[in-house]
Order: sequence, then C-alpha cells, then structure tokens
Amino acid sequence: MRQPPPLVLDRTIALQITLAGVIALPVLAAIWFGVTAGGGSAWSHIVTNRLLPYTTITLGVLCLTGLLVCLIAIPLAWLVSLYDFPLRGVMEWALVLPLAMPGYVLAYAWADLAGVAGPLQSGLRDLTGWSARDYWFPDIFSLAGLAFILGLTLYPYVYITARAAFTTQSLATLEAGRCLGESGLRLFWRVGLPAARPAILAGLSLALMEAAADFGAADYLGIQTLGVGIVRAWSSFGEPATAARLALILIMIAFAFLLVSKLSAGAAGSQHTSYRWTTPSRKLLSTPSGLGVLGACLLCLTLAFGLPVMRLIWLSLANDVSPAQLWSPLSSSLILAALGTGLAFACALVLVLASHYSRTTAWPMRLASAAGYAAPGVVLGLGGLFLLRASGQALTGGLALGLLVWIYATRFTAAGTEPLMAALSRAPASLDQAARSLGVTGSRRFWRVDLPLLAPGALAGSLILFVEILKELPATLMLRPFGWDTLAVRAHAYASDERLASATLPALLITVSGLIPVIILSRQIARTGRRNK
Amino acid sequence: MTQFFPRLALLAALALAGCTAQTPDPANTDSPEAAAKTLTIYSARHYDTDQVLYDAYEAQSGVAIEVREAGADQLLETLRAEGSNSPADLVIASDAGALWRFQQAGLTQGVETDRLNALVPDRYRSADGHWFGLSRRVRLVAYDPERFSAEDLQSWAKLASPDKAGEICVRSSSNIYNLSLMAEMIERLGPDTAEAWARGIVANMARNPQGGDTDQIRAVAAGQCGLAIVNHYYWARLADSASADDQSVAARTALLVPDFGDGMGAHVNLTGAAITATADDVDAAADFIVFLLSPEGQRLLTMETKELPLLDGPLQTAGLERLPAFTASDIPPDILGENQAAAQRLFDRAGWN
Repeated sequence: MRQPPPLVLDRTIALQITLAGVIALPVLAAIWFGVTAGGGSAWSHIVTNRLLPYTTITLGVLCLTGLLVCLIAIPLAWLVSLYDFPLRGVMEWALVLPLAMPGYVLAYAWADLAGVAGPLQSGLRDLTGWSARDYWFPDIFSLAGLAFILGLTLYPYVYITARAAFTTQSLATLEAGRCLGESGLRLFWRVGLPAARPAILAGLSLALMEAAADFGAADYLGIQTLGVGIVRAWSSFGEPATAARLALILIMIAFAFLLVSKLSAGAAGSQHTSYRWTTPSRKLLSTPSGLGVLGACLLCLTLAFGLPVMRLIWLSLANDVSPAQLWSPLSSSLILAALGTGLAFACALVLVLASHYSRTTAWPMRLASAAGYAAPGVVLGLGGLFLLRASGQALTGGLALGLLVWIYATRFTAAGTEPLMAALSRAPASLDQAARSLGVTGSRRFWRVDLPLLAPGALAGSLILFVEILKELPATLMLRPFGWDTLAVRAHAYASDERLASATLPALLITVSGLIPVIILSRQIARTGRRNK
Repeated sequence: MTQFFPRLALLAALALAGCTAQTPDPANTDSPEAAAKTLTIYSARHYDTDQVLYDAYEAQSGVAIEVREAGADQLLETLRAEGSNSPADLVIASDAGALWRFQQAGLTQGVETDRLNALVPDRYRSADGHWFGLSRRVRLVAYDPERFSAEDLQSWAKLASPDKAGEICVRSSSNIYNLSLMAEMIERLGPDTAEAWARGIVANMARNPQGGDTDQIRAVAAGQCGLAIVNHYYWARLADSASADDQSVAARTALLVPDFGDGMGAHVNLTGAAITATADDVDAAADFIVFLLSPEGQRLLTMETKELPLLDGPLQTAGLERLPAFTASDIPPDILGENQAAAQRLFDRAGWN
C-alpha cells in the first residue's frame, strides 16, 4: 500500500491496537497477577526442584508431537493430492475427522485400551499365558504415549494446510518439475515440499501451540508438562499467581514458534506467478501401492478415531449407562461455541485484513492472538476472574457469559486466522495491483476483490473455531454462568472422578457435534480440490 | 477503505450484542415471586444423585437451590474474585484440606450452632465452626491376596519396607488424596520419617505413578503390582459395577485399612460444607447442612459416591460389604490443610511424580 491517506491509517491502527488490547487483556491480567501477587514459597520451590523437568519434558513432548504430526500429515496430504488410489475421494475428507476428537477424550480411550488391564494387554496375556510382569508393552502413560495422543489429535491441522498447499500449487511449478524429469519422491522433496513449507509451518505452529497448552491429556496420563505444573502450582500449593507466572514460559515458547514459522516463511518467499493454481493431474498408482496407501490412511483413521470411538461405545454399553440429561449441556455447548466463534472470527478477520492491507502494523494483534492461543485455558480463566474482581461483579448471568465468550476470543483467534490468511495469500500479487490500477480501493476493494477470495477460508476458519470452542474445557469450567454446563464440563466431571463409563456419552456427543462441522469442512476442502482439477 | 474498518467493527459488535441479548439465561427464568428464598451452593462434587438431593430439599423446605460445580480451587478463586458480591451461601468440597483453604482465604464464617455441633463430632469439623464434615472417605490398601496377607500391611510403615520392592501401584503425588495422607503422616511421624517413608514407597513402586485410583486397583487384579494405595469408594464402585469385568477386578483383590502405628488410627478424609462469609441467611444455610446430616441426606450423599456416612452405623450402600472395620484417626482435620503445601514439597523432593 503506497501513500495511504494518513487519517485512514490512523483509524485502522487505532482499531488494531484496540482489538489487540481486547485479545491480550485476559493474558495480561493473568501475567500482571502472576508478577505482582506471585513469588510465594511455592515459586521458589518450583524454580529449584521442578522448573527444569517441567520445561525439558514439555519440549520433549513438543518435539515428538511435531515429528509425529509431520510424519502422519505431510505424506498423506501429498499422496491424497497427487495420486489416485482406491477410495481416495473418501480418504481425502475422512482424514480430517480426528479434529472432532478432543485430546483428553482420546487420552481416556487409549489409556483404557492400552493400559495393563485393558483389552490389548489382557488379550496378549490370555493368548500367551504370560503374567503382567513377564513382557514389555509400549507404555501409554509416558512421554511418548502423550506425544502419540497429541499427534493423533493434532495432525489434521497440518494435513489441512499441507493438502491445500499441494492442491493449489501453481500448475506451472509442478508441471515444470515434471518436465525436468522429477517424479515421485524427488518431486516431493525438490518441488512440492519447499513450495508448501510456509503452509506446513503455519499448521505445525498451530498444532504445537495447542499441544503446549494441553492440560487434559497430560494430566490424565500423568506426564509432568508445564501445563500440568501450572495447575499443580495452583491446586497443591494454593498459589494461582505462581501458576500464572509459569504460564509466561509457555507463552514464550509460543512466540518462538511464531518467530520460526514467520522467518522461514519469509525466507521461502514463494510467490505464485499464475492465478491458475490447480491440482496437477493425479497419477494412478499400481494396485499394490494403491492398496498400501489406502492401508496407511485406514491405519491412521483407526488409531485416531475408529478404535477409540468404538471402545467408548463399548464401555458405555457394558456399563449400561443411561443417557440422562444430555440435552441441556448439548444446547449450552452449541450456543457457547456459536457465540465464541462469532467474536473470535470477527477478531481474526480484522487481523487478517489488517495485515493484508498494511503488513507493518499488524504485529500487535498477531502477538496478542499468539499469546492467547498459547496460554492454557486455566490461566486465561484466572485472567478472567482477575478482570471480574476489578469489575466488582458476581460471576452470573450475562456478565459471566460475556466474559467467557471474551476468553474464547482470546484463546482461539489465532486458530481462525490461518485459513483466512491462506485464502488471501493464494491470490497473486498481480491481482492486487490490478485492482489498484483500476482504482478499486477501500470498501469496494473489500467487497469486489477480497471477500470472494476470503469466502472459502472464512468457512474453514469459522468451522475450526466452532469445533475448538466446542472442545474447550478449563475456561468454560471456571467461567460458565449458573446452569450452563457444557458437554466438555460433564465429561470432565465424570472422568476426573474416574467414572469413565459415565463420561463416555458426553464425550461421544462432543465428538458427534464436532463431526458435523468437520465433515462440512472436509467436504469443502475436497470440493476445492476437484474444482481446481 | 475509509469506512471499512469502523463498519466492520460495528457489525461485529452488533452481531455479538444481538446474539447475547437473545440467549436465554436459565438463571433469570425464575420469576422473583416463584421462590421466596434461594440458596446458592458452590460444589466441588458432581453426582447425579446430588440433583436428587437438591430436589428433595427444595420440595421439603420450599427453598430454591442454585448450584455451581467446578474444582475446589476454581470455586475458591471465583469466590475471591466475586468478593462481597458473591451469591454463594455454601461451599461443598470433598477434602478437609480444600475446606481449610476456603477458611484461610477468609471466605467462610464460623458458625456457633448447638444443633450442628451436636450432629458433628469435634474431629469431623473445623475447630472454630468454619466447616462441618458430611461424609467420610478412607485411604487404604487394595492387595492381591495371593501375594500378601493382611499382617504384611497392617501399618503404613510396612508398605515402605524393602520386601515390597516392585509391588506398589499408586497415583501421582499432586493428587489431593496422597497430599492429605502425607499431611497427616507429617503430623503423626514428623517430617523426616515421613520423607523417608515417601522415598521407601518410591523405591517400591512397580511403575511410575499414573492414572487414577481405579487404574491402580485394576493393575493389582491384572498382576502388574501386588498392592495399590487407593480410596475405599473406588474399590466399592468396582464391586457394585454393572460390568462383569469390574466385578471380577474387585473379587480378585482384598482390602486392608493400615494405621499410623500404635493405635493412632486410620487416615480418614472428609467431604464437608462451609457457610460462606457472604451468606446473608446463615440459618437457612445451616438448615441445609442439618438436612444433609439427616438419615435421608446421608443416604443420598453416599448412595452413588459410596463414601461412608459421617457416623458409624448400619451401611445402606451396596459394594461396601467387604470393607474391613477400622478405627478412625482423631487428629483435628485442619492439619490436613495446614500441612498440604509441605506435603507436596516433600513428595517433590522424594521423587514421587
């Protein structure tokens, strides 16, 4: 944007700064609380005895999770985009389904499946006649087990972005690669992967921020991550301020991800030269390879979705659980998710447009949304309570509802921005320049140029937001008004008291409610793939 | 572009305001004259029978009950944030240490009522009437009768002896049940002996602390460890479960209530209720506690949880038939709260994750 009228710039900057403030305020409140009220005896104890293990374990979980996410998502996205194999059309969207499964629910299910008393190990013992002490079995209650769970729930983030990048690569780029004799693996390494790197990193940084903020799965599996340490500082030592302090470290880690992803995206600097981005024609795989690829897709879906869901269904049947009173939490979940999506989406849209129109001034909002996304829900809940205290009100009615929706926006705006950003960046710079030389500016530019470009990203962004908020637990647990139990709150109440059988129905219902938007989302992704063909 | 951002912001604000205004708020649906009096309870429990309990009291007394359920720590911070505006009249929490924390934060009030003091023995309430026990939970050992006999396990100290190497399954130290057990142990045996005990347990663990109490019992039944440290009601729920697998887990394990040695009794924790500092009708709140302590209240409180009623008496709850008789420790329950942070520090030093 060359030489914008100064008045306009001032207004947009003012709006951005205000929104950045709104997004960041709960985080800042929690940090302020941590810095001013913290430093009790628990703080020095944790710094001396626990901080190093918490941090190394967290980094270990993040590295392993990131590796697993890339190993699952990138090859599958590549194969689905460039090759034809049996059931490819179904797999293309089915691979997004695990997005509907909350990490903590997957942890419940896998802990039950793979635990020493679960069906896998019992079956092994029955088969071999061994006792439980006679053999080695992969331990789900371990750092690797946690990474396994998080990898299975979070890989769709990278799958979605990588697949979008592979299918919408400029026709010229890939065809040029093919003409030069590159094929198969070499085409992937030398052409496909470098061009898709910014998209992959964007998805990966979302997945890793989500993993860093996880509490439910790590706590259930007994892995001492920072997320668990934060809650322990609060529950065992009664020092919520110390918890808020510890959250700062997580926020720093998130900033580091953002920086790395930003830097390497900048370095790649790939700019589409042609508007005719389209999926190169898919190559038909030979029958054995085709079945092998199908097998890999099915294995991934079975581990991340089929097997755990079937186990939960079986548990609820074997224990004769009655579906009592699930209607009210279901409607609470849906209403809260809709409200939260509305606000978070509006914030994300402003953020994306701001950075589209003026790259230099968007950073306060990007930092604010990244900080919110990386802060665990518990810490944001504390920030919310701190703001409540400042307002001198009780946590009831519309105020509690508004506060909770605000926290949702803080927590999830970042998750809504990526699809929007991706949609806008698909347009070649020439389109923008053309618009400007035709004198299309301001709101006309928005309606005529940017909105049509944004539309598919907007649908994807809002669906992701809806599903994420549906799964959100800690902030909802702390801030919901009277009578607003969500499905996640119910599932947690049962599971935390070890009544897994009773938790299965609300947990399954979260997954089912999340499935509908996820299916719409994945069908849309598949459709864009076909349209571009 | 001049108009774009302000318009967009306005649109977003309007949309949000519209949505918020149309959202039905269940808290406000009661007309003011429908219920003359409302009792607001902040409860750290979640059982389907709790709703039956509240409904029964509403029908009996005509008082409307409103409940917020969340973890005890979260409820405490909510109360603190709400300050004098809090609608809460009562707090219910499932641990003496948690109740003590509400008291320490100045969120409860001491109540001098003869009727409550008559119902609740000294050792089951705070010294100055800030909270009252409602039901009891015993921390005990579920063991494999083919590996151990009851004599091997009579006292907590025996669990730390080297002959139990590789035999113990127990959950993480940050769990409130372990913290409360350690809090009492520090009081009973002194911090040094208590820390040596924790190190002994860590040395005897069959696996890293993981999962919940139920998982530990299942691990004993599966043969991975010889004994598990758990709360009694998790075992009772398995024994009374609809699932045949769960019943066989209970059938393959036996229970023993260890003591601290020399007639110091067994570790008993409490679910209790406190009247908040902001409660405007203390008598109405106390009425509800009296109801919880009535035979009907005790039955509903313990039916689903499988906790023990506050006072010894005939048990009406299925699944508790095989619970051995025990003598409860008589330390003041405030100790469990006072020593809680020290207990976590001690566990951290002993390497009990």
